[in-house]
Formats: sequence, C-alpha cells, structure tokens
Amino acid sequence: MSVEAESTAPVATRVYKPAMATGWWTHKRHYFWYMVREFTALPMAAWLLWFLIEIQRSGSVKTFRPGTSTAFVIFSFICLLFALYHSVTFLGLAGVIIHIKALDRPVPPRAIVVTMFGLWLVASIVIGAVLIGFGR
Amino acid sequence: MDFESYDVLVVGGGLAGIRAAIAVVEANPRLKIGMVSKVYPMRSHTVSAEGGAAAVLRPEDSYETHAFDTIKGSDYLADQDVVEAFVREAPIELIQMEHWGCPWSRDPDGKISARPFGGMTTWRTCFAADKTGFHMLHTVFQTSLKYPQIHRHDEAFVTKLLVENGRCEGVVAVDMRSGRFEAITAKSVILATGGLGRVYAFTTNGNICTGDGMALAYRAGVGLKDMEMVQFHPTGLPFTGILITEAVRGEGGYLTNKDGERFLKRYVPNKMELGPRDIISRAMVTEFEEGRGFEGPHGKFMHLDVRHLGEAVIDRKLPFMRELGREFVGIDIVKDPIPVRPVQHYMMGGVDADISGVTPVPGLYAAGECANVGLNGGNRLGSNSLSECLVFGAAAGRAAAEYASSAKPVGSNPVEAMLKDETARIEAGYLDKKGGEERIGTIREDMQRDMDAGAGVFRTRESLEKLTKQLGALRERFTNIKIEDSSRTFNTELTAALELDFMLEVADTITYSALAREESRGAHARRDFPERDDAKFLKHTIAFRTEEIAPRLEYRDVRITNFKPQARSY
Amino acid sequence: MTDKRITIRAARFDPEKDKVPHMQSYDIPFSDESMVVLDALNYIKAHVDGSLSYRWSCRMGICGSCGMMVNGTPKLTCAAFLRDYWPRPVTVAPLTNFPVVRDLVVDMEDFMHKLKSVKPWIIRKQEMPLGAGEHRQTMDEIDDFRQFSQCINCMLCYAACPVYGLDNEFLGPAAIALARRYNLDSRDQGTKIRLPVLAQSDGVWECSFVGECSVVCPKGVDPAKAIQQTKLDTTLRFVLPYGNRE
Repeated sequence: MSVEAESTAPVATRVYKPAMATGWWTHKRHYFWYMVREFTALPMAAWLLWFLIEIQRSGSVKTFRPGTSTAFVIFSFICLLFALYHSVTFLGLAGVIIHIKALDRPVPPRAIVVTMFGLWLVASIVIGAVLIGFGR
Repeated sequence: MDFESYDVLVVGGGLAGIRAAIAVVEANPRLKIGMVSKVYPMRSHTVSAEGGAAAVLRPEDSYETHAFDTIKGSDYLADQDVVEAFVREAPIELIQMEHWGCPWSRDPDGKISARPFGGMTTWRTCFAADKTGFHMLHTVFQTSLKYPQIHRHDEAFVTKLLVENGRCEGVVAVDMRSGRFEAITAKSVILATGGLGRVYAFTTNGNICTGDGMALAYRAGVGLKDMEMVQFHPTGLPFTGILITEAVRGEGGYLTNKDGERFLKRYVPNKMELGPRDIISRAMVTEFEEGRGFEGPHGKFMHLDVRHLGEAVIDRKLPFMRELGREFVGIDIVKDPIPVRPVQHYMMGGVDADISGVTPVPGLYAAGECANVGLNGGNRLGSNSLSECLVFGAAAGRAAAEYASSAKPVGSNPVEAMLKDETARIEAGYLDKKGGEERIGTIREDMQRDMDAGAGVFRTRESLEKLTKQLGALRERFTNIKIEDSSRTFNTELTAALELDFMLEVADTITYSALAREESRGAHARRDFPERDDAKFLKHTIAFRTEEIAPRLEYRDVRITNFKPQARSY
Repeated sequence: MTDKRITIRAARFDPEKDKVPHMQSYDIPFSDESMVVLDALNYIKAHVDGSLSYRWSCRMGICGSCGMMVNGTPKLTCAAFLRDYWPRPVTVAPLTNFPVVRDLVVDMEDFMHKLKSVKPWIIRKQEMPLGAGEHRQTMDEIDDFRQFSQCINCMLCYAACPVYGLDNEFLGPAAIALARRYNLDSRDQGTKIRLPVLAQSDGVWECSFVGECSVVCPKGVDPAKAIQQTKLDTTLRFVLPYGNRE
C-alpha cells in the first residue's frame, strides 16, 4: 500500500466541526416559514384535544353545540388558517411528488394538483354534509 | 521493512485513468489497483468536455473513413497503425459506456444518436446532450465504485516517479489533508494526468491541467513527443476562456466576422464551420489581423450564430451552451450571437507511449491526453479525445495488468531511500524555505502571457527564441519564490509551486520542439515556414531532458500504412 | 477607468495553529464587471496572501469543486458575481455542516461514503453482451431521469439542509437524487437492491421537506423532489401487493 516518511510533518488530522446554532431557522426566510409550517402541528393537536373535551363536556351527541366560549371560537379560527396553510402547501406539492404516467406520457403536474384540490373540495363537502346531517 | 504494494497504480482520476483501472479489474480481478489523484475524480477536467465522442456505429460509416478523417486531420503526423486500431476499438468502448449507464442521446428508434463534427466526413460523434464529458466521467466514476479491487487515494499530489534500475516502481505523493509524504509502490504505474493548458493564459482548461504527468515522465527519462502540437479551439468565450463546444457548429451554427460574412468560405469552402480546428483558428486570427474582427474589452472576437436553429433545437441539443451564455456573458443564444475567439484547449503532444500505452521505461504506462500514442498527430479532430481516453485507457490497463501479473515485487530499501530524498528535496526547496521575493502567482502569470505571445496559434523563430529566454528568466526567478503557507495541512501554495515547476519544464519542451520544427503542420503554424515539409519533417519530435534547460531532440519516422500523405485542404 | 475596490472577508483556519476559525479581510481591486468571487480568491492567493487555501478547477460550474458559503448562502464561487455584492463586503466561508479541514476546505469523506452506499451504477439481473449493441432507450425515457443526472456533487445541498446539519447520519439530497436517477433509468433493474439504504431511518424518511436543497442547487436537480418521490415509491412498494417488483 504505502510507506510513510519520517519527516517532520505534524500529523494534522484535527478538523473544526462547529455545532449548529440554535437559532439556525432565523437565518433565512425559507427556514423560518418551514418552522412555521411544522409548528402548525402543535396548535392543531391542541385544538383536537380541546374539541374532544368540548364534545365530552356537552354530553350526548344529539344536543351538542360548540362551546359558547369565544376563546374556543377564535382559537378554532386560527387553527383553521393553520390547517389551510398546511393543506395548501402540501396539496400544491403533490404535482411535484407524484410522478405517474398515463399511456406512456407523464401526467402534467398541474393536472395532479388540480385533481388533488378537487378531491379535497369533494371530501370537504361530503364530510361537511355528513356532520351537518348528524347534527340535525 | 515490509509493506504492501499495488499491482497497478493509476495516476489521475479522469476518463482515461478510471477506464484503465476498470480494465485492470476486468483483465485480472485478483490484482490490486491503486488510483491516486490530486483532486476527487469527479473534478477531473474530463467533466468539462461537451461535444461528443466519435466512433463508427452506423452501417453507412466505415473504419476506413474514420481512420482517413483522423489521419488527414492530423496533417499526416499520426501513426496510421494506431489510428486503424483506435477506430476499431472506439465503437466497443462507446457501447460499453452505454451498458454502464451513460445517457447517450438517442434517435427515434432508440439507438445511440450521432451528430456532425469538425473534420468528420460522416455523422459519427455520439453525444449526451452537450455535456458528454460530464456524463461519461460520472458514469465511469460511479461504475468504478462497485469494484473493491480499486483503492483510491484522493487529494494526493504526486511529486515524483520512483524509478529503480530503470524500472518504474511507484510514486512519491503528498497527502494533501495531512501533509504527509508517502511512497506508494506498484509493479506498474499508468500516467493519466491530462493536459497542460494552464501554461497558457487563455485556455479552456481548468486549474488542475498543469502537465504533471508529462513532467514526471520527462524527469524519469521518458521522451515527450510532438510537444509543439498544441491545439487551439476556435470558439472560446472571451475573458474566461470557457469552451463553447464544436457541437454548436455541428448543429449548424455560423461563424461570422465584423462584416457579417461567413468568412470560412475563403479558408475551408467545402467544410465551412466543420473544418478542422487548427485551420479555423488560424482563419480567425488572420481575420483579426486583417481588421475584420469585432473589438471588445477582452480582445478581438467573432460571432458564433445559432439564432437560426430555433429555441427547440437549442434546448434539446445545446442546453448547457444556453446556460453558459446566460451565466457568463449575459446573453441568450436563442436571440444573440455568441462572442468567440481561439483558445488553447488540448495537447496533442505528450508522454511517448505506444499503442498499448507502453513507455520506454518498463512498468510505466501512459494514456489519455497526457500521452502521445500517435493518434492525433499534428491536430486532433473534435470528439476523438473522449474516445481516445476510453480506448487507450483500457489498452494501458490491460497491458499493465499483464505486466504486473508476472512482475517481481518491489524492493523496499531503495524505495525508503528515494522517499527520504524526495521528502528532503521538497521540504528544503518549498516547505521550510525561508526568504524569497518572487510570488508564485506573478511568475505563473508572466509565463502564461509569454506562452500566449510566443507559442500561440502562429509562431516565428523570433517569437520562439524570445520565449526560450523568457522561460529561462522565469526559471531563475522560480528559485527565488516566496512560500507564505507554512502549514502542512492542505497546503495549496505548495501544490501551486510544484505545478508551476512542472509547467515551466513542459513549457520549455513546447518551445524548443516548436523552434526545431521548421515547417507548418497541423496546429504548429510557423509564419517563417508556412509550408508543410514531408521530406524533412514527416517525423515525430521527441524531447529528452538534459542537464541544461534545452531538451535533446530526437526524431522518429511517422508510421504510414494505407494512407499516403497528401495536400490537406477542406 | 475608476479604481473600484471590494472587500473580501475569508474564513481562515489552520489546525496546526488555530483552535477555531477566524475571519481575515482583504481589500482588492474590482477591475472587471465579469469578476466572480473565485476570481477574487485567486487574486488574493496570487498577489496578496499565498496561504489562503480553497478548492477550484473548471471555473465554469461543472466540476463542483468551488462550493463555499458566500454571505451565508451556499454558492459555487465561480458563478457568484462580485457585481451582485459590491460595494458591500463579501464574506466567504467553508460549506456549513461539514468539518473544516483548512480555511475554505471541508472534509468530503462523509459524502463520498454516502455516494457509494446508494450503489450508483447500472444493476441488471442479466448483463447484456457487448456484441448485442446498446440497450434501446428513447429520449422520453431519458427525460424521466435527466434532471436527476445533472448533479455535479458540489454539496451545496448538504450545506443548505438543516436536517443534515442536525444529524450527520442523514443520507442527504445529492445521494438520494442520484439513487433516484438510477432507479428511473429504464436500463436499470436495481431499485429493489437500493431500497434498504433509501428506506432506512437515516434515508429518505429523515427528510422533512425543508426544500432549501433545491433552492440552492446550481444545476436545477431538484433533490427535494427526488426525495419525496422516493418516499412515495418506497411506501407503495411496501403497501401494494406485488409492489416490490424489480
């Protein structure tokens, strides 16, 4: 293989490995919005828990009404915005992630994204109708 | 002292080097192969090759035509038996590349496509868009990763070949990371270190193209053949020297002068923009001298126009060119003509090697641009080089494998002594050097400027004699260099100094060889001897190192087989 | 002709002398509008301070050697024009997330190891003999993987990836994009063989789609896309019956 010289060269194998700054996500706009996107999971989890508590508190399913506290309403609204932001970014990227071919030609990303949003709309309508139906 | 030794050591990790290493594995999977490169292999300058690789793949083509095109292109300085073997091997190599995953551009029937290229009478240049070298290098490099027999020493700078009793036994290299000097021994060594463009100021070549392997072989007593044959590519971007591929002309681009004239009709009327590179470069310089070039802040230039090809063709066939135009010149080649001027690009000259890469020193082989096996003669046709690297890289690998299979192991005592001497030489001369007043960068820039002026597209006795004196003065100044980097860790000032030392050496061989060749042939154009002189100079120039600066020149007849030398016109 | 000048602040680190890197300022002539950061570094090395160490070669954005942090963004210094920063100073630092060997030179061995681990070569059940000629492939089939084949291994994407920064075991954008390049190549039959490396916890699943890798990639490879596509592909292989075919 190799023979090493008895030269005066110091063996310098030391490298410098800086630790990542805790504020790394403040250094770039893109990183910041990424953290916001990821952060939306927390308030949504909290909202779900609150929602479950509200259900339990109101007793039977038939007479359920959303909590009369305005706090819950405001919080729900904020969480709706978070959910929309997360959903829109996620569905928008479906065109990039889903790589399928129909009849040997790649399906254009726009078609995939439009389909995704369409399915989302349909699902929202169906679930909304079911819930309202239950409510009645 | 006991130590392990490689059977084959490849110096250089470009297309020829990696192909050689793989060829050794294929020839004898039990052999142990080392590959030492001063950069990581994917940085090798192969990566910047653009246009394509030539081979006879179509039924309407023939070995004879490819051979004739190459021999005529070489201005009859090529060794014809080598050319004839080359054209037969090239197609096999390109198919092998395809099997290894190279994304050759295709015809509608799914077969490998081909495009027209300079000096080629039929379409035989296979291509991967306009990044052929990039794709080929990454293909062979990634393929080489699957062979455990190949051990790489990345970022190790070879400073000297180990030669004992006339036999090459390995190298001394500096591991750049640690600064340690190592002797890497091997039963056989294959030099595949590429070209020497950086001896010139205006070159397409990257920083690493400093003629290392040529200088190493020269110092080991091997002759450097046809060093006066330096190729100037017609179309480089002004200022940066970035290459605009010949494929632009292959796809139908026009070269026009200040008057909007496709001036090549006065020089190569039958081939026009697809004439051979030496003739077109000379045509452009002549047009400049006669006042028909555009004037710019970075010298005179011509226009290379592809607007008539349309956006679809450009995006499909020349996307990288569009990117380069946008990035480095701020133009869109779909709408603007490209400014271009002749630029140093390739070295036909190199280490004296035969058809199997064998050099006169047993155990030492050479392949690729650093070698001169006799393929390209006085002028290389575009797209022959990538094929050359594959064919002769593989040939050298096979030859080295056979040699190593029966060679005696390397003795350790002589190696230790040589390592000690080399370490002392570099420490005394560079690392521990005190004082000195000359900056490496200044000497280098002066050398580059002097070479451009004295040994450029056109040479004269005066320009070359002046250059020998200038180079002599630069060598003097080099003994007085100042080394500011005292660290052993990744000392790039040391490598820059060693590279400059190599470059000054090979620059001399270029200059003296050019001075002695009193004719014009191929890329070597003497204003004072404008005609070709087959009676006196149908020979290779071979430069041997002496104790003085000037090399000893010998001559060897060109090997003619089937193609008698004729007047060369297109 | 005005005497324009520009300040370059370069990170310096000599492990034999320094505990941590420090910045050194150089004031140099800005003599041509086409000058790039690499030209500035070359000027410094040639005329001001020969000890500045950095990697470079092709100067045309194809070899991938010259990646460094320029004003906090990973860039190829051969394609970063001084005119875009002047008259402000330009800060040049080694690529983030990599160990620094010296000045602007980082340790690349981790990447080289990961590159090899995804088996970036054509894998076939049965090798076709050379005499049979080339595999037939159409330009459309090349279009499938063309984008992912453009990677020059410059590692700007690793410098941009906070996941790689936080966990060096992450396989990383370039390696995964290269794996996808081979998976999508019609000549390759090795997707199943590459699966274990890609589907491991340090493989594609470590990625949380920050997407900065694709933003900084100088060749438009879009490694983020490659990673998410690979996530989908590995999932379907797991979930669908007979999904894990070659």
